Amino acid sequence: MSLNRNKLYSLLLIACLVGYIWLYFSITKNSTLDRATEVCLIKQITNMPCPSCGSTRSIISLFSGDFIGALNLNPIGYLVAFIMLVAPFWIIIDTVMRSNSLFNLYQKTETYLKKPKIAIPLILLVIINWIWNITKGM
Amino acid sequence: MDAQKVDMFIMSNGKFFEDHQMNMIRERLIVLDDSKWSMLSTVQLKDPTTTLIVSILAGSIGVDRFMIGDTGIGVGKLLTCGGLGIWTIIDLFLIQKATKEKNMQKILQYLH
Repeated sequence: MSLNRNKLYSLLLIACLVGYIWLYFSITKNSTLDRATEVCLIKQITNMPCPSCGSTRSIISLFSGDFIGALNLNPIGYLVAFIMLVAPFWIIIDTVMRSNSLFNLYQKTETYLKKPKIAIPLILLVIINWIWNITKGM
Repeated sequence: MDAQKVDMFIMSNGKFFEDHQMNMIRERLIVLDDSKWSMLSTVQLKDPTTTLIVSILAGSIGVDRFMIGDTGIGVGKLLTCGGLGIWTIIDLFLIQKATKEKNMQKILQYLH
């Protein structure tokens, strides 16, 4: 693996930090979504949503307590919110305890996800979510 | 191993590795046992140009990273719309080097 422990942790921390900044920016700005502030490349180019379009809106409605609304917007929002909540604390605990439990988990999941039995259903799920996104017109 | 065979391998597979690694690969190959040649010549390596094309076309959903075996980063890109679109652009420049590194890791398994 070219990705070592410290690289993975700093990458995850930066991603979470950018995610929180992006979330703050999305909550404070006007609720009417401006086309220029949408960052998704696929949506900008093809006018079609990508599989994870709407996860920001999903997380925002998750924070305001609307669980079913969040699921209807995009189920991926749940996954992203979970990672964003858990990852920073886990990294802090790992650096304090000098262990690499998160890194081990990451590597295990990576080999687990490469198995065709797991990978094919997950790919199908993502594609179904994508089709759902397109029909919803996110 | 025969110097001619080594040179043939280097010539036909040079584009799969980084420039600074070529000398090391050559030295390692020359001291390698001849019986490993048949295995070495059938190693499947990823073409950096192909991954670059995939990165341009489907980088936003992380297909390029899945392709070279970085499943974790690929999932990360998929879940975040390609890292809010920024990571997609960064990866256009990183993906060729990453592919070559993956090829190097793969060939190192055969070189000892």
